[in-house]
Amino acid sequence: MHRIAALTAITILVSGMAFAQAGIGGNLQTDLRLQTGGDNMFSWNENRLTLTLSGSPTADAHYYSELWLSTYGLPEVSSSSNLSKPDRVSPWGLDLREAYVDLYGFIFPSLDIRVGRQRIAWGTADKLNPTDNLNPDDLRDIWDFGRHLGSDALKAMLYWGDFTFTGAYIPTFRPAVLPTGEWAAALAPPMELPPGLTLRNLTDTVDMPVNNPKHTSSGGVRIATALLDYDLSLSYVYARDDLPLADSIAFIPVDTMGTVDVTSRLIYPRMQVVGADLAGDMFGIGVWAEAAVFLPDEVVMTLDLSALGMGTQDSTVLADEPYLKYVLGADYTFKNGIYVNMQYLHGFAHERGRAGLEDYVMLGAEVKFFNDRLTVRPIAGGLAINDYGDIANSYAVLYGPELAYHPVDNAEILLGAHIIEGKATTAFGRMKDNDEAYLKVKYSF
Amino acid sequence: MRKSVLSVLAVLLAASPFVHPAGSLKADEPELTALQVLTEADAVVNAPADQEVTLEMILIDDAGNETKRGARMWQKGSDRRIIKFTSPAEQKGIGFLDLPGSVMYLYMPAFKKVRRIASHVTNTSFAGTDFTYDDMAAINYADEYSPTLLESDTADAKPAGPLAEPYVLELVPREDITSDYSKLVMSVRRDNFYPVRIEHYSKDGELWKVMKRTEIKSIDGYWVAREVEMSDLKKAHKTRMVLGEIKFDQGLSDDLFTQRYLKRSAD
Repeated sequence: MHRIAALTAITILVSGMAFAQAGIGGNLQTDLRLQTGGDNMFSWNENRLTLTLSGSPTADAHYYSELWLSTYGLPEVSSSSNLSKPDRVSPWGLDLREAYVDLYGFIFPSLDIRVGRQRIAWGTADKLNPTDNLNPDDLRDIWDFGRHLGSDALKAMLYWGDFTFTGAYIPTFRPAVLPTGEWAAALAPPMELPPGLTLRNLTDTVDMPVNNPKHTSSGGVRIATALLDYDLSLSYVYARDDLPLADSIAFIPVDTMGTVDVTSRLIYPRMQVVGADLAGDMFGIGVWAEAAVFLPDEVVMTLDLSALGMGTQDSTVLADEPYLKYVLGADYTFKNGIYVNMQYLHGFAHERGRAGLEDYVMLGAEVKFFNDRLTVRPIAGGLAINDYGDIANSYAVLYGPELAYHPVDNAEILLGAHIIEGKATTAFGRMKDNDEAYLKVKYSF
Repeated sequence: MRKSVLSVLAVLLAASPFVHPAGSLKADEPELTALQVLTEADAVVNAPADQEVTLEMILIDDAGNETKRGARMWQKGSDRRIIKFTSPAEQKGIGFLDLPGSVMYLYMPAFKKVRRIASHVTNTSFAGTDFTYDDMAAINYADEYSPTLLESDTADAKPAGPLAEPYVLELVPREDITSDYSKLVMSVRRDNFYPVRIEHYSKDGELWKVMKRTEIKSIDGYWVAREVEMSDLKKAHKTRMVLGEIKFDQGLSDDLFTQRYLKRSAD
């Protein structure tokens, strides 16, 4: 019922905004992916209406909202009773991605503020931004690198000469959206059971922060300027990790054969992040660099084996010692129109702690034909390595060639593949048997 | 992604060639040097203290198929310009900022970020248009090219009426300028010093692109080309830019030509 109410509200809102001559836009997008191996299972099926409303009723005010209405997945029907439930036959969701108001020249001519759900995108690297930590990660589609949720926030930007000072306050906490299915398992560290034990059920509870500003709020400040041929910024963020970590695991024996149930508790530890980035031009090549020093709270995990007569053990799963993530990147367009892009990344979004960071070399190349109607991306992907001493057993290769065709203005058809080869010691390597081909169609209006 | 971000913009900027008032020099002064003619042409094109223009860009392929782009442009003097797409939907909100010293920025609403445009991009085209970033940036040709006066009978340069043949200048990039063109050949009307045709030659000396400025009118005391067409002879493709509403000398603030305003909606 609440969804019907939400849709009704949206309809009224859209109608009202249209009457008020707001700008209405958005796009329709369909995304279908099919595994190329095994039984050729569908791995993704999404149809999304993105609806945006925006307007500037005065020169000093602006509003914007973006809503996603999606159907995703396949029918979740396992019994006849499910057939009478539309949500099961056609799973769908509604997501208010952004909804904010801008007030320009607020109190002072050089001060702008933005209030409401918003994306606060920091960092100069290409999609993979270690300094971009105010908004929760949106990892539902793992191939959509860099996607984040909006946060309910107050952001202020003060402009002073060539300097821009940004401050952001986010009173409430939202965790990251995690991928589903096998990707969820791939991104989590593999669980190792003590010898002789067999797992029956794995359950967990998520311990959300206490619902008050002291525990849920986060914020950050950033100063940006330009120097010579470079844009520079420094930033500081005080927040919670948006990905959960287990701080307790208990083993419950089920029988005398060594079968156990495992329960765990997940928490979102506090962290501080000091970041810096730059972007500019060096000998005609576009270059950028971005680094973030993470200062996490310590997370000690209690392994409770008392029900097995083995007592409890504490171990540190995240030490309160700083660790560094960084990206170095460059791009160039050759005279024949071929564009290339390369990034070296130390530490992916889901990785934590000094010992948990892998290295990635990301490569991309594209060329356009027929007056930009057709874009060919023969090289897109990267190489992941987590142990240079044993590369043969600790690598993954990601390859994602793609064709993009624009038959008419506002329409885009994408045809491509996600291909992974590698070892199970890496997160991506664990997905090597899930290669897929995809077709996406998008129309903007 | 970075390229796709940048390549969406392409169509916007060929606007600076639009405007200019009558110069101080007269058509009956044949003894002018090449530099004087070029300087006068720059002065006429960049005469308004500032301008705000509504643009329609029409992309035309070799079969005559047309696609359109809409944008608004603000310019101050001869070295600051900001352009924001208003259509089509997939490009609405994209912004381009051109600042002195060949500093350019691009704003992509989808990514919520302003990006500095590296120099390897400035000679590439925007999203299928026949203008490059450099073509469309505000420019004083005399600052970047060394002119030589040639003879010419370029018909496009002849205005209606009893006016003489145009001045024809060959412009070679100065040594400190990076350009994909080996030279330009510019035809300048003698009556008002408006540059009406610019031929762009590739590094191997082939005629590559031709820019034509037509529908030249005097508006509020400034000469304005209401249409600018850039033809790419290699691609058999052209882009025609048509001026809509235009306002001069509104006292635009320098603050408008900043990243702060680049991010703002053009609603």
